Amino acid sequence: MAQARTSSPSVDAEPARIGSGARVRGRIHGEGDLVVEGQVEGDLAIRGELTVAEGASVTSGAIEARSVTIAGALEGDVAATGTVRLVAGSRVRGNLRGSSVAIDDGARFSGRLDCEFDLPPELGGTSPRGEVRGRTAARR
Amino acid sequence: MASTVIGAGITVDGEITTDEDVVVAGTVRGKLTAKEGVTIEHGATVEADVAGASLTVAGSLTGNVTASERVDLQSGARVIGNVKAARVTIADGAQFKGNVDMDI
Repeated sequence: MAQARTSSPSVDAEPARIGSGARVRGRIHGEGDLVVEGQVEGDLAIRGELTVAEGASVTSGAIEARSVTIAGALEGDVAATGTVRLVAGSRVRGNLRGSSVAIDDGARFSGRLDCEFDLPPELGGTSPRGEVRGRTAARR
Repeated sequence: MASTVIGAGITVDGEITTDEDVVVAGTVRGKLTAKEGVTIEHGATVEADVAGASLTVAGSLTGNVTASERVDLQSGARVIGNVKAARVTIADGAQFKGNVDMDI
């Protein structure tokens, strides 16, 4: 298979994935989407979408991504520029920050939520940030 | 069972251990241990000791390699390190510096 020696790093057709039988201990960072199906212990800083699949587990100090969807287990603080979504069956412990945070029925969560949004003017909204603290566990 | 793919834009600083196979198109620094095949694609950079059943290298690898079956260095590969495997091929155009131990 002949390839040009100098190839600019374009986003690959094949999405990055930590397979279900894999375990990574260390820091993962870079461009592009990442699907975690295995175990990750360490920080993640992805300029893309991060998906923690069902059965996967992520233990981390800090997770940064454009958007984060969690169906598995995650322990650590999550900061997304976009949406953080906890799907039914997920178990998450940590602080979540994003432009929007969605917790589906059946997700289990313990930590703090931090969303940036504008309250409508009739609610006197000048504050650009809303914070919700406490424990939330939506049990099936 | 899904395999592990380290995409072109991704860097892993640390240890990767897997029961399955791994394809590295990005960068891995640390240690890589797989029970099945390891493929280091053209453009990838691996600075790690690598262990697997088989290893196919088309990119850059600095580190020692142990494969239970075979190691194939393809044209364009750049490998600095010791290679230990039962079968080894080094294609024309591959660059290699290190020892080869085929356990004879």
